[in-house]
Parts: sequence; structure tokens; C-alpha cells
Amino acid sequence: MKKVALALTLLLLVTGSALAAYPEKNLQGYIMWGAGGAMDNVTRAIVPIAQEHLGKTIILQNRTGATGAIATTFVANQPADGYSILFGAENPNLYKVTGLSQIDYDQFDPVFLMMANVGVVLVGKDSPYTTYKELIEAAASGKTITMGSTGPGGLPFVATTMIEKIHDLKFNKMQFDGEGPCITALMGGHIDAVAVGLLAAANFIKSDSVRGLAVISKERIDSIPAVPAITEAYEEYVPYLPWGAFFGAFVRKGTPAEALEALQSAFQKGYEDPRFDEFAKSTGGVKLGLTGEKAREYIQQNKSVSAWLLHDAGGAKHSPEEFGIPRP
Amino acid sequence: MEQNLQYFLIPFLNWDMMLLIWVGVFAGIWVGAIPGLSVTMAASLLISFTFSWDLNNALALICGVFVGGVYGGSITAILLNIPGAPAAIATGIEGYPLAQLGEAGKAIGLCTTVSVFASFVGILVLAVAAPVVANFSLKFSPRDFFLLAVMGVLLIGSIGGGDPIKGITAGAIGVLLSMVGMDPSTGELRYTFGNIYLMAGISFVTAMIGLFGVSEALTQFRNAGKGSPKQNLDKIIPSWATFIKYLPLSIRSSLLGVFIGALPGTGGDVAALLAYDQAKRSVRHPSRPFGTGAYEGIVAPETANKGAIGGAFIPMLTLGIPGDAVTAIIIGALYIHGLKPGPMLMIETPHLFWMIVSCLSIASIALMVLGLVSVKPFSKIIEIPKSIIMPVVIILSVIGTYAIQNSVVDIFYMIGFGIIGYFMRLYGYATGPMVLGLILGPMLDANYRRAMQGAENQLLPFLEGFFTSPISLVLTLSIVFLLFSQTKTYRRWRGIS
Repeated sequence: MKKVALALTLLLLVTGSALAAYPEKNLQGYIMWGAGGAMDNVTRAIVPIAQEHLGKTIILQNRTGATGAIATTFVANQPADGYSILFGAENPNLYKVTGLSQIDYDQFDPVFLMMANVGVVLVGKDSPYTTYKELIEAAASGKTITMGSTGPGGLPFVATTMIEKIHDLKFNKMQFDGEGPCITALMGGHIDAVAVGLLAAANFIKSDSVRGLAVISKERIDSIPAVPAITEAYEEYVPYLPWGAFFGAFVRKGTPAEALEALQSAFQKGYEDPRFDEFAKSTGGVKLGLTGEKAREYIQQNKSVSAWLLHDAGGAKHSPEEFGIPRP
Repeated sequence: MEQNLQYFLIPFLNWDMMLLIWVGVFAGIWVGAIPGLSVTMAASLLISFTFSWDLNNALALICGVFVGGVYGGSITAILLNIPGAPAAIATGIEGYPLAQLGEAGKAIGLCTTVSVFASFVGILVLAVAAPVVANFSLKFSPRDFFLLAVMGVLLIGSIGGGDPIKGITAGAIGVLLSMVGMDPSTGELRYTFGNIYLMAGISFVTAMIGLFGVSEALTQFRNAGKGSPKQNLDKIIPSWATFIKYLPLSIRSSLLGVFIGALPGTGGDVAALLAYDQAKRSVRHPSRPFGTGAYEGIVAPETANKGAIGGAFIPMLTLGIPGDAVTAIIIGALYIHGLKPGPMLMIETPHLFWMIVSCLSIASIALMVLGLVSVKPFSKIIEIPKSIIMPVVIILSVIGTYAIQNSVVDIFYMIGFGIIGYFMRLYGYATGPMVLGLILGPMLDANYRRAMQGAENQLLPFLEGFFTSPISLVLTLSIVFLLFSQTKTYRRWRGIS
């Protein structure tokens, strides 16, 4: 009798621990970009709110390098138990075609896509170009326009490629380490124009330090209504849109549904919190709030536009076809 | 004006902020002193930590850590020949020999005093001339950054020890190692051999911890039997006369520091090295020959790296452009707290500007007090037997390396560099030039290519730029002068032996 009781207690203990609600311990969050950047800011803004709803702490660390491939590979090699979260941007979408890594978001389930970062074309505040058309026509007339850019795969690089392809132009390009240095160079007059993410540019546009010519979007953006949508000048951009950078949270494929749901609900609540709203407003980012299948579709659309643009511009080592990425 | 004064007084009248600044400086000194634990890292940790705090309190703490941290890096450079950060490399060159002579207390005392002075110079420039300096710093083109990096390369002669060939060799290897990883402009992989961990490149901080920390520890094990020099701790605070004697050099170097700090992307490390080199070339009668414990060689880099603190805030507060890695993180913190860093910051939230000026001022006062109080306990560190202190250094080096990006691979790199550094020292190669190469390599590489791209990859327009742009012309002429000043003709003319 005693033995049975003991067995029963043990059984209860075992099932009890298996049924214990996720999360039962602190989680680890890996941010693929460095401290102070947009990815880092978005993560550090939503995580403290989301973890209030999760009941456990998400311990954040920046694992930078190889445009995020280091963090992506690292999290893909952790157990799929929902305790390792990857905070990633759009970059893994190009890993396969650039040959950087075979591990991208195909190996992950999106927990939540927090924000999108729409591209915006900027010129200096004293630039002779006051509209997007003027800039494009000047470039088409054979005038040398020096555009700031980043390494292949970054938003400025892909956006510039998109513009070149649509208008059949060639810009002279100067490459910087990131969007911030591009804007600095624009303000110093070292480049003529640049296409960067709105998150980096919004405050510079609002303060008239630079001039925004067009947002690479089908509609104007609420936070800077004075800047026209690119499609107002040229309809040819429509098939490529919506396109931009995004910031999301991901877990490995195969994570238990219960854990994934708990995370999704926590991030959803964090996303709806007025504190996160305030953050989104001050940065000028576009709130996304996608999860599940919708998030996956959004990522795929972004992947197909970027991968094919890069391929057509000759910047890809492998054709997107090899990986079954459809043309946009 | 009255309004600004009120903003300036906020931290003085708020006990929480006051306390947090002092705590920040104290913590910063320790964080800075431990190789690998950097101010940048501390600041980014503090941002998560202070998320739910009031922004003023969070800024107070971060400002304190910033000022304390830059100072802390120099203490270990003087005491143990292990700079806590790249900004303290030059300090170690003169400071460590002084510690060996038993003058560590005097060296740290002088370092503290001039540091506080320079920190105030930086704050003053920030307060009165921020917009002017910021707009000027924007004018620096990629070509000018390239020229600055070239100037940095000339420093190898200053920090390379006795044999120039050995210095150049170590520096060149450093530059070569800095090329490992993704090509910054084409994304092409260089020297990565298909290894994903090499794709991220070799972090100069990792290399620095190995080359200075572990290799110093290994070298000390070799000399384990020797006793430690007895430290003379009678006159720690430099006399008024001493302070006045170094005043012209202090002013010159701190202004250089403010300016280099204000350039986007360059910080205290480059400033300190340039200032040290400048002192070495211009001071005619140093207290001892440079390299053997010249006090001038401590004053120059220390004033430059402290001046760079105020400098780094200049573009950040006026334009929303970070002056260095720490201010980049503070920009992130402002976003998270719902503010809009950028050119509108001073207009929309003017209190923030004056509050930061004020926090930095209080931090400098705190540095004076905490720095001088801790000279004695710090100097005692030298008298601890090497067999105890060096294993601690190795453990801290491992922890510090891991903490940079939580990567075990970095620890292997670090130990590898430690062993390389040990053999370099054994054969008379200074390790400083290698670290310098790692820092300057990417700056040379990226800016040379940007300058070329700006000239549409045409050689002639590229070369023309050196003479047609006023800033480039001044920098080019300075480099020519630096080279010329090494010739016999010039030295004979100036009467330098």
C-alpha cells in the first residue's frame, strides 16, 4: 500500500512538472545587431513589457556579426524548447542567395513581428533637388549622383538597387557601415542622396536637417505626412511593395505549441501597451503587429523582392530559384 | 539663460541623481579597470536595467559610469601594464615604468588631477560651443578620416618600443588581422576559410585583452621571483607648481581630445594616442626620457581621453549623431524613454542638454574625490605578490572577453593572442602596435575606399582632393610635417638631439 502511494505521488510529481505552465524559468534573448541600433532599440522597448505578461525575465544579449548570421546560427542550434528567442531583422532573408549561411527564417517560427522600417530617399537640406522626379531625371540625364549605401543586403543597398533597376540608372555609390553614418555623410555634403530606413531618418527629416523626397511605400507615412509616397511619382514601384526592413522575435521550428502561444500572447500584449506605442511614435517606425501565418507571408514577400532584386543586380552568388523563392 | 541655469541645477538639487552619479563613477572606475569590461558594455547593460526608471536618474548613472570608466582603464595601465581600454594604451607606456620606480602613487595622483581638469575642458566646450564644433565635425569627409588614420599609423614609431622595424612588423600584422571577416563594402568574405566565427572578424578588444592582459601575466610569471617595488605614497596630490607646469600641455591635449571625440565614430582611443605622439614630439625636456616614465606621457593621453567624453556628447546632443560607441548607446536609451534624439532634441527638450552638462560636471567632481581617495589602496595592488595578482588578471581577462558578446570562441582568440603576445615580448616586439593596427586597419580600409568611391574611382580627382579641400590640406600638411620633423635637418635646426 505504501509503495502504491509512493508510486502515485511520484507519478503526480512527474506529470505535475510536465504540466507546469511555460515558462518555468528565465528565457534567453539574442539580438542579432549591436547595442544602440534600431533592432536593439525595438527589442529593448518591447521585452520589458512582454515579460511582465510572461512572468519570467528575458535575459537579453547582443550577438552580433556577419549581418546577424552568428546569432541566427546560434539560436538554431539551441534546443527547440521556447527558452531561446532570436530577435532578428530582415537580413536572414538574403543569407541563402548571398551564400552567407544556409540557416535563415525557414528554420524558425515567427513569434511576433513588431515593427516595419520603410525606406525613405533623402537629399541634403541645401540640395538642388526638391522632388523625387528631379533627382531621378538628373541621374537619367547622365549627371553623376553619389548615393550612400551599405554592404550588400542592407536596406540602403537593396533600395538603391530597386531604384536603379526600375529607372535603368547607375548611381555612383559610396559605402558606409550603416544608416547612421550615411545620414552623417549626407549632412556633411559628402554624398548627394541616400535611401535609408525611416527609423534612422525620421528625426532628421522633421528637423529639416535633411530633405525627404519620397517614402518607398504605396502610401504616405503618418509620422512624416509631408513626404510623398514613391508611387505618387512613379507607378512602376507598385509590384515591389510593401517592402522594407522588419524587426521580429523568432523561436526554432518545433517549439511546443504551448510555448509558442504563450510567447505570442505576451508579445501581443506588449505590442498593444501604450508604452510601446509611445516608443513607436517617437522613432517614426511603422507598427506591424503580425504573428503566425500572416507574419510568415510578410517575411516571404520581403524575401522574394529582396532576393530577386539582389540577383538581378548581380549581387547574389546563387539564384533565388535554387531555393524555390518565387519572383515577386 | 536663467532657464538654462535652472536645468543645470536639477541634478545638484536632486539627491537621487546626485547619489547615482557618485555610484556610477565609483562603479565605472572598477568596470574600466578590469580588462574587457568596457564602458560601452556597462552602458548597454544599464539601459535594460534602468528601463523602468525615470530618465533623469538613468542618465545620471550612465554619465557617472562613462566618466569613471574612462579613468579606471588608466589605473591598471599604470599599475600592472594592462590598459583597461584602448584609450589607456599610451598611459601604460609611461605609467608602468613609473610604478616600477615606486612612483605609482604620484603618477595616479597626477593622472587624476589632469583628468578632472580635461573633463571640465570638454564640458566647457560642450556647453558654450557645441553647435559650432558639431557643424565643423560634419565637414570631415572620408578622405579626412583616411588622413587621420594615416597619422595614426605614424604613431607606431612612438609606441613601438626601441626597434622601428619590429614595431612596423607588429603593426602590419595587426592591420592584416583587422581585414579578416566580411568586406565592409562588398560583403565579400576575406580570410574566413568558410568559418562562420571568422566572418564576424577579429574584435580588437578581444585581441587587446590577450595581447596586454594575458601576455603581461605570462611575462610576469617568468619574473615571478623578483620582489615588487616599494611604493612611495607621501605626495599623491601634485603641487600647484607641478599642475601649472603641465598646464599648457594639458590644455593642448584636452582640446585635441574634445575635437577628436566630437568627430563621429572616433573616440578617446584615437585621441589619446595622437596626444601622446604630439607630446612626444613637442615636449623638449620631459621629466624623464619618453618610454622610461615621462610624466608628460601620462598627462597628454589622459587629458585627451577625458576631453573626448565632453566631445563625444557634442554631435550627439546637437545633431543626434553619436560621437563614439557610448553616446551611440545613450541615443538608443533616449529613444526607449520616448525622446527624440536628433537636431530637435535641444529645441524640444532643452533641459536634457543642460542636465547632461551638469551630470558630467558632478561626475568630474566625484572623480576627483574618489580618484584621490583610492590612490593608496590602488597602489597597494602592486605590492600584492605576482603569484596572486596574475592568476586573477587571467581569470578577469577570460570573464571580460566572454562578456563582450557572450562568445566562447572569443576566449580562444583571446588566449591565442595572449600566447602570441608573450612570445612577441620575449623577442622584443611591443604589443601596442599590433593593437593599433587592429584599430586603424578598418578605418584605413573603409575610408580609403569611400574616398575613392567619392572620386568615382579615378586616381586624379582622388589625389586632387588632398589639396582642394581645406581640411584635407591641413591634415596632409601635418603629415608631411610629422615626417619632416623626423629628419636630421629639422632636428638640428630645432636643437633636438
